[in-house]
This record gives sequence, structure tokens and C-alpha cells, in this order.
Amino acid sequence: MAYSMRRVVKWSADPGLAVRMLFVMGLLALVYLAFMAVLISSGFDTVTILIIAAIMAGFQYFFSDKIALLSVGARVVDPRQAPDLHAMVERLAALADVPKPKVAIVDTPVPNAFATGRSPRAAVVAVTTGLLDTLEPREVEAVLAHEIAHVRNRDVMVMTIASFFAVVAQLVLRWAYWGSAWGSSRDRRGGGNAFVIIYLASLLVWVISFFLIRALSRYREFAADRGAALITGAPSQLMSALLKISGVMQRIPDRDLREVSELNAFFIIPAIKGSSLMELFSTHPSLERRLERLRELAREMEGL
Amino acid sequence: MKRLLDILLGRSQPPPARSEGLIALSTAVVTMEVQLGFRPGQEAALVFRPVESPYFDRASQELDELLALSAREAGTEYRTQVDRYRYRWVILSDPDFEDLITAVHMLAQTLLEQGFGEQLLAAVFRFTSPEGQPFYWIYQYKRGRFTPFAPRGDQQRDHALELRLANALQRELPIEPELERWYPLWGIPL
Repeated sequence: MAYSMRRVVKWSADPGLAVRMLFVMGLLALVYLAFMAVLISSGFDTVTILIIAAIMAGFQYFFSDKIALLSVGARVVDPRQAPDLHAMVERLAALADVPKPKVAIVDTPVPNAFATGRSPRAAVVAVTTGLLDTLEPREVEAVLAHEIAHVRNRDVMVMTIASFFAVVAQLVLRWAYWGSAWGSSRDRRGGGNAFVIIYLASLLVWVISFFLIRALSRYREFAADRGAALITGAPSQLMSALLKISGVMQRIPDRDLREVSELNAFFIIPAIKGSSLMELFSTHPSLERRLERLRELAREMEGL
Repeated sequence: MKRLLDILLGRSQPPPARSEGLIALSTAVVTMEVQLGFRPGQEAALVFRPVESPYFDRASQELDELLALSAREAGTEYRTQVDRYRYRWVILSDPDFEDLITAVHMLAQTLLEQGFGEQLLAAVFRFTSPEGQPFYWIYQYKRGRFTPFAPRGDQQRDHALELRLANALQRELPIEPELERWYPLWGIPL
């Protein structure tokens, strides 16, 4: 008789999450398509703006890891400097079958971690000294597994692509802002209407895509939580890690929070706390929801 | 295509374990011993990650029964221990190397059949170099490939020896071509 766990917990089976992710991505694609249609049909110089946006996105894609590491002052450590961290990452990488990411440490009391890098091969997993001080080794491992799940899901690439046309919309908005200042003579004859349409369309796309991208980011967090729990075989480890990190987050001085705030999208728990009403604006789901998901998974694994 | 969908949906499923590559070691051991003078050890280990689940407990119970049976029938001794990173090691000892490989393979197969193939990290086989130094072949289940590991003292490896043996056994063993995946396992208890 086979007591297969696979019958109870299917790796790929979080159908609700998959459906929601597809829905959000579909909406994004629709919004972006409509946006392109408006831009092109209004006689806008779409090619130029696409090229500029592509260069910007490409720059971000290729240098995001270096920028992220530099801006938080992370230093890459070798196995001799952090043997345990490396051993944990190696084993998790072997279990998840991703190339071993580089390991970096950020010297700050804020307990947090992030993964960056355009591809699994270029990935870096960073943890803060605060995280290492606050958490037990098994909780640190759960956090590392969460980041490795991000790497395996290629979240940097997915989010870069998902936000590409949002960048285009933002560029158009800026162009419109400056254009209205010094380009008014060109728009005087009949161009005014098109100008307003382009401006409004870009604004609309920018706002809508903002919420959709945030939603997608929250779903990717759930997915990484699930991946981490399944790689380590222990949802409870991640649950206690999340509880501890967020507990400590409440007591950290504000200055540190602001220092790291721009990197929120990468972090396991964002440094800025908002009320639950503000969740729509947030890159991360609320702690309660993440714990609830993990509890569900844990119950599945227990066969309950 | 499926990989693309998995990436889009963030379904980070590790690949299933590949256990069949392990068997190649039973011929390679002859080359190791006769040609290169590396004596095979009498111990081997299977390393895996336990899961918080009664299904897993039942699977590991089955493992224990299997181990007890093979101790009775084939005389393969065993012990289990949990390392500092909470991976479980089942260490088998048998004077016959062929039996060791078979026993490790059987254990891995059992875990696979129970649906816990994803938890398999590695199988470890010890050899002793002509100079009396330890050398290990580590079989990585996710890759289905072997990686060499020659630990020397505190967090040091004899890379030259590892490269030499990987090269020497290239025809006989499926060896991991990507050097950055030649993970060490410090403190191997065999």
C-alpha cells in the first residue's frame, strides 16, 4: 500500500493561486495591448518610446542584482566566512536543482532577506545580520528556501517583463509632462485631442498596471512560501520565521526602515508596515494571509 | 512549454529524483580499485530531508522494516543519524560493495515509490586513496549524476584529485559536468 504524499499534496496543485496569477497576467496583457493600440492609432512615435523603455528595462534586468546589492551594502561572502549559510544554501540548491546562488550578508539589525539576479545562474541570496541574530538556524533555512523558490520561479525576470509596459506608460507620462511645456506649438493644429487621449490612456494604464503588478507580486510571494515549505518539508519552520521577523520588525527604529524601503519588492517581509486596507498597494501579502496559506499546506501534508 | 507555464505560475517543483544512474558505480568500482588503487569503503549512506507528515513517517517506518530485513537476510548493518542541518543519514555497512549499492538503491527506490523522491539529497560512497586519504563519490539524485569530493581538513578540498578522478571515470560514471554543482558535504559520518 502506498501512502504517497503526492496524492495528498501535489506540488503544482494550488489551482486557486494559478488561476489568479493567470487572471492577473491576462488582465495586464489586455491593458498593455489596448495601450499599444491607442498609442499606435493616435500617431504617437511608439517605436522610439518602446526602444527607450526596452533599454531601461534591459538595464534594470541586467544590473538589478548589482544595484540591489550595492544600495543595501551587501557583501558577498565565501564558504569560509559563512560555512553554515553556504552549507544550507548548497543543500537547498541541490534539492531544488538550481545552480548554487551567491550568498551575501547585509550589515543591518533589520531581520530580512532577499534574492536578486536576472537568472538562476546569476542569482544572489542575501540575508541581514539581524536575520541571523534573530532566527534559529532552521528558521534561517526556511527563509533561504523561500528565496531559492523565488530564484527557481525566475521572479526577477517575470516581474521585469510584467512591468515593461508600465515603464512605457510612465515614460509617455513624463514625455507628456515635458512635451506640454515646450511642444505646444506643434500640437496647436488638431494635435491637442490626440495628446489628451495619449495622456489619459497612459495615466490609466499606469494606475491599473500598478495594482495588477502588485497583485502579481503578492501571488509570487505565496508561491515562494509554498515552494519553501515543500523544499524544506517543513511549513512550520517558515511560519515561525515569518512570525519572528515581523515581530521584530515592529520594534526596529524607523531610520533603518526608510533606508531599506526602496528594496521592499525583493524582501521576504517588507520593511514598511501598512494597515490591511493598504494591502492593495503592497508588494507582499499580509502576514495573516501568508500564515493561513502555510497552515493550509501544513494540514494537507498532515493528511487532515 | 510546461517549464514556461511553471515559471509563469510560480510552481517551483523540483525535478523528480533520478535513481538509475547510481548503478553505474558497480562497474566503476573495479576501475577505482584495480586501476587507480582507491579502496572502496565498507560503508555508504543515503541522505534525505525528512518531511513533517505522517505519510513520511509511515514511509520511513517502511524504510526501517526494509533495513531490518536486509540486515537479517544479507547482513547489511545500518544506523541512522540526523546531521546539524536536519538531514537524515541512513548509513549502511557491508563488506561487499555490490551489496551496498543495491541496498542504497533499494532504499532510495522505496522513498521514491512512496512519493518522497523530491526529498532525496544524495547517496555517498567512501573510498580510500593510496595515501590513506578519504575520497567520496556523491550521487546527487536531482541531477542523476556523480560528483567527486575529497575533503582535506577544515573546509579544504583536494580539487586536483577530484578533477583527476572525474576525468578518469568519465566513461563509466555519469559525472556532473558543471563544476559549480560539485557541492561539498562537510562532516560525512563515514
